[in-house]
Amino acid sequence: MSATPIVRIEAAQVMLGGRLVLGPLELEIVRGEHLLVVGPSGCGKTTLLRAIAGLQKLESGRIWIDGALASEERHLRVPPERRKVAMLFQGGALWPHMNARETLSFVLRARRMPSAQRPARIAELLALVELTGLEQRKPGALSGGEAQRLALARALAMDPQILLLDEPLGPLDAELRESLITRLAELQERLNLTTVHVTHDPREVQRLATRTLTLKAGVAVEGAP
Amino acid sequence: MSRPLVLASVALLALAGLAPIVWMLMRLESGDVSGIFDARTLTLLGRTSWIGAGAAGIAFVLGLPFGFLVARTDIPGARTLRHAGLVPMLVPPVLLSMTWSVVFTELRGPTAIILVLGISTFPLVAVFSARAFERIDARREEAALLVGGLRSVLAMELPLVLPAAASAACLAFVLAINDFAVPDYMTSIGSKVNVYADEVFASWQSVHSPGKAVAAALPLLVLTLVVLLPALALRRRGSLATWDGDFRRPGALALGSWRWPLFALAFALVAFAAALPIGRLVWEAGGGARGWNFAGFQAAFARAIEVGRADLQRSLLYASSAALISLVPGLVLGHALQRSRASAWLEPLVLAPLAVPAILFGIGYIALWNHPATTTMYSSGFLVVLLFLGRFACFPIFAGAGATATFDPHLEEAARLAHAGPARRLVSIVRPALQSSLFGGAALVFIFGMRELDAAILVPAANGTAMFRVYNAIHFGRDDFVAALALLIVFFILLPGILWSAFGRERWEVAA
Repeated sequence: MSATPIVRIEAAQVMLGGRLVLGPLELEIVRGEHLLVVGPSGCGKTTLLRAIAGLQKLESGRIWIDGALASEERHLRVPPERRKVAMLFQGGALWPHMNARETLSFVLRARRMPSAQRPARIAELLALVELTGLEQRKPGALSGGEAQRLALARALAMDPQILLLDEPLGPLDAELRESLITRLAELQERLNLTTVHVTHDPREVQRLATRTLTLKAGVAVEGAP
Repeated sequence: MSRPLVLASVALLALAGLAPIVWMLMRLESGDVSGIFDARTLTLLGRTSWIGAGAAGIAFVLGLPFGFLVARTDIPGARTLRHAGLVPMLVPPVLLSMTWSVVFTELRGPTAIILVLGISTFPLVAVFSARAFERIDARREEAALLVGGLRSVLAMELPLVLPAAASAACLAFVLAINDFAVPDYMTSIGSKVNVYADEVFASWQSVHSPGKAVAAALPLLVLTLVVLLPALALRRRGSLATWDGDFRRPGALALGSWRWPLFALAFALVAFAAALPIGRLVWEAGGGARGWNFAGFQAAFARAIEVGRADLQRSLLYASSAALISLVPGLVLGHALQRSRASAWLEPLVLAPLAVPAILFGIGYIALWNHPATTTMYSSGFLVVLLFLGRFACFPIFAGAGATATFDPHLEEAARLAHAGPARRLVSIVRPALQSSLFGGAALVFIFGMRELDAAILVPAANGTAMFRVYNAIHFGRDDFVAALALLIVFFILLPGILWSAFGRERWEVAA
């Protein structure tokens, strides 16, 4: 693992509805790290992910991603789609009108992959998350675990440098959780992904973590920077 | 589900909306239908279809992007533009014709008809599109945003929104092909352009035979159904956008450097479609070309109120009564449409009164109620209330159905386990969640009742409405008086229109 920070957060604060929900926060995440972010509900865990992704503007402070100033106070210097960041949302957030193949094709097309190369890449991604054979299924016809793995494949289709995981195991039963944790561990090692993983139950994913950040009322109480 | 309430509401719908249609169809004899597809009919049908398609096309092309811009982006004054964008739909189309034809004196003929009807119905597409864009969960949108920015968001969302926009365009088509006042007015100078609604009207005027009127209307009816059936299917497909109970309302999308140019486009559309007609009416009311002055403006209003007071009162009474009564079938049948297995046959029945050509619906009312036994009823305002209710009850019913779709059924099941009966569950559990949508739907009943001309023109009791007086005065009255009376109608129509926007917005806050 290199010690170069891929994400650097400096005095970041986020306000929502006139209330300070995150910060002031100082944080550095190094390349290849799997940072576990824990804390009680409403402590700002998801807001932190959204701020890194550029889906949430800061009130003050700065965020650098891969050496580039990405967010500065209330301005997005780098838009979300250019941050090389992918996110696994709570519940998957799959597009209901697209089947598995169309979902992945949509991402690859947006990333300007030539159409001739797409089928092979789609097959590769589906194999990676063990969804081969379910190409034609829409989200409504997938089980909870399959849907979450398709969401993971969608995130990986973006070739991200940073993978943000927002309680991805939440709706799954124990067996599926274990299966997805194993899958994540394999992918992390194989692809050398930098991962920021939000959870309210750190015990089950502790073995993935290289470091744990605990947030309380939007402020880091241990583990940072 | 309360069976007595459902049956009572179906009975009300049957009396107000279905009985005149059934009565008319029963009068149809085999001899009536001969020659209904002759060359003249086909020419009229073709022309009417072109006008409808053109109007629906304009409504779609303007409404979809406008709905997106005002509902989902960070353009300045989005909320104000959204409300102002409703105005063209709320103003009676014949008044739009009246104002534009004096501003653009060359605006005549089929192109002008298409333009007026398209602008008049574009807010329908905008409202449907805006609602559909707002129903897309924030996380799904953010997932697309991370993939490729705004372009990917639009590429992902368009297939979800298109069914709603296309079904609204189908409704725009139906409204356009049933309008006869706009074609009549826009071709009152120069060569006359007859449309199919004129044919049905003329057929009734010449022979007063319900059977022949039905026969004359059959091609238009078929055309309407051909368009409305896909609209219903599209409406069901549109429900994909409302996906689960854990809904998160999406935030405004940043347009970046496109923000001001797109604001200018939306503003220009509102200025042309809403501000220009109203401004022109204000100008006309104050003296117009003779020189605008406030004293003249006041005098025109004083005269409009003096002459049109009773007509305005009747219009308000009829339209608001119909709107108020429509809340009951809106709640009961709206809920039943979503939760009951009967929705497959109930849905076409609810839509039938709007699908039938307006002029035929009016003739049906005459044929059904003009009998010695029902003379009192026939000449009373109650018949007008019934006509408005029957024709427009589908709005609160579909609004109620849409809101029920986003209402968690577990809440009703919990009340059922707590021994609350069907009626009690409907009134105490479902109604509070649906009432803002129902009021929105009832507001549409009021609006369309206030501007109704196409069906009501034949019903004697409806000849005492403000809209009927304006329609007559357009041809024979003084410009300032007509403009002042038209402004009064527009004012009363706009009032609940603004409330509809407010209620509609609140509905999604509840749903979220």
